Amino acid sequence: MAIATASALHSENVNVWFGERHVLKDVSLTFPSNQVTALIGPSGCGKSTFLRTLNRMHELIPGAGFGGRVLLDGDDIYGDGVDPVDVRIKIGMVFQKPNPFPTMTIRDNVLSGLKLSGRKTSDADDLVETSLRRASIWTEVKDRLGDPALSLSGGQQQRLCIARSLAMDPEVLLMDEPCSALDPGSTRRIEETIVELSESMTIVIVTHNMQQAQRVADQTAFFLATDGNPGHVVEFGATEDIFERPRDSRTNDYVNGHFG
Amino acid sequence: MSTIDLTPVARPANAEPWKRKDRSMVVAAGLAATVPALITALVTAALGWDPSVTVMAIFLPLQLVAAGIVGVRAYGKRGIAEASLIVVTLLLTALVAALLLSVLWSVISAGAQTLSWTFLSQNNVYISPTTSLEYGGVGHSIIGTVLIVGLTTIVTVPFGIAIAVYLTETRGKARGAIRILIQAMSGLPSVVAGLFVYSALIASGITQYAGWAGSLALLPLMLPTVARIAEEALRLVPAEYRNGALALGAPAYRAFLQVTLPAAKTGIITAVLLGIARIIGETAPLLLTTFAANNTSFNLFSGSMSSLPTYLYQYISNGNDTSTQRAWGAALVVLILVGILFTVARVFGRAKKATSKSLTKANNARKAN
Repeated sequence: MAIATASALHSENVNVWFGERHVLKDVSLTFPSNQVTALIGPSGCGKSTFLRTLNRMHELIPGAGFGGRVLLDGDDIYGDGVDPVDVRIKIGMVFQKPNPFPTMTIRDNVLSGLKLSGRKTSDADDLVETSLRRASIWTEVKDRLGDPALSLSGGQQQRLCIARSLAMDPEVLLMDEPCSALDPGSTRRIEETIVELSESMTIVIVTHNMQQAQRVADQTAFFLATDGNPGHVVEFGATEDIFERPRDSRTNDYVNGHFG
Repeated sequence: MSTIDLTPVARPANAEPWKRKDRSMVVAAGLAATVPALITALVTAALGWDPSVTVMAIFLPLQLVAAGIVGVRAYGKRGIAEASLIVVTLLLTALVAALLLSVLWSVISAGAQTLSWTFLSQNNVYISPTTSLEYGGVGHSIIGTVLIVGLTTIVTVPFGIAIAVYLTETRGKARGAIRILIQAMSGLPSVVAGLFVYSALIASGITQYAGWAGSLALLPLMLPTVARIAEEALRLVPAEYRNGALALGAPAYRAFLQVTLPAAKTGIITAVLLGIARIIGETAPLLLTTFAANNTSFNLFSGSMSSLPTYLYQYISNGNDTSTQRAWGAALVVLILVGILFTVARVFGRAKKATSKSLTKANNARKAN
């Protein structure tokens, strides 16, 4: 199976409104190819919202507004004539809550992206195995591919969702607190998967878990929203700098558990 | 350190401590459940009063007091409230169940004598109200009902589901107006729907009495039922599934057809069924649009047509004994049709489980690599 090359993602002055409320202001971040970037910050600071602007899932929320640019290898995904469907094929997403399709088997879930985007594959079995292997769940499910996806445990379901995204061979993978509903064992396995996957794609992960950010991320962005003001990036840099030598006192307070 | 013995032990008989009961409480509860009924039965028999009077005047107060006493013994003060709640709930449930069962029982007991192969298969040609039950039947009416209701279903279901999709899956501006319209439509008296089609199509000379005019008159009665229940079914599908599909690069229509719709399948089948149940017994619209007929007709597009409700109406309004029997028979056939429909839909609508067959298939596919 050909693996697509990873692409760099770049946001320029991203602004978000819900109705008249300005919730995210001037977020400019660079996500270099093959790197893992963690977005951290207290609840309600806009990091999940920002993540959703990166593959145009944001615009599905009623009342959503957007300003700025998001560049995938230099091309604006919000440019004229760009189909959001094509953007989402290149930029995959894993949600906070595992959401395998309930009416499909494990195997069909892995292949669902192809069917849903109207594409065909020459070797479905190979794609199923490769995707499940890359999400490190193959050995657990190889003998029960015909079982309903909901028969899996929560951690397995989340890795199945990752496999489902991988089958689309995305250039970028967005993960919205993928481990927040999982036990420590499943969390560790998904973190290992993230590190392996970064060899072939660019990864952006939202997390509330400081240790997780330190374990998986090359760089980290700290978001903060104060007293009705829109959220913004307080500090962005290499993960060890953010956690060990933060320049901003608020970053220091947050990563050391003084608030949030 | 001593080794812990990990051998499983057989389940002891008293492994349900929450079910332990005080013997005197069991006796008290047994008395409370039987004594009021016994006293009521004795009084009814001794005084020869109407049972419905004694149940209300003697049984209910006695049962409330008896349950109250046991309740107070078991739980103290709050026992009074709990006991009254249980007695009132059970009584009301029994009342509704009795109503429902008596309707079912009267139709089945009166209709069963009429039911025979002849009654199910023959039509009403050369049959007069006094002809014995050995001749004639509702065969033509069954065919008429199936055809008329079938045509209505085929036309209405796509519309109903389309409305439900518009209401749940889109952000169309007319959603509020359509929802109000659908609610108003569900309150439409069926005779008005029939009169409308009668005056628009038949009185105006566009068509004679015809099956399709009947289907048209039933459409506005079925549509709101299908649309509202299908809307509920689609609304119950969690947004995460649709978002998951969209995030994989699915166009909205594929996300709907391949993820949302299959997840709502059982609910949508229920919507169709309740829609059919809503119209299968409608009489007034059909009397005005298809009228009644004695002969068997498969032609929905011209000529009057019989249906089970109009057949029933034809005979029940006659007053003659055999006529009344035929009407009961027709009523029972309607009930049986609905019963068959519900059974079939339950079997097909059941959530698909992974069978051992699909498992083997997946395994073989794997081994082949």
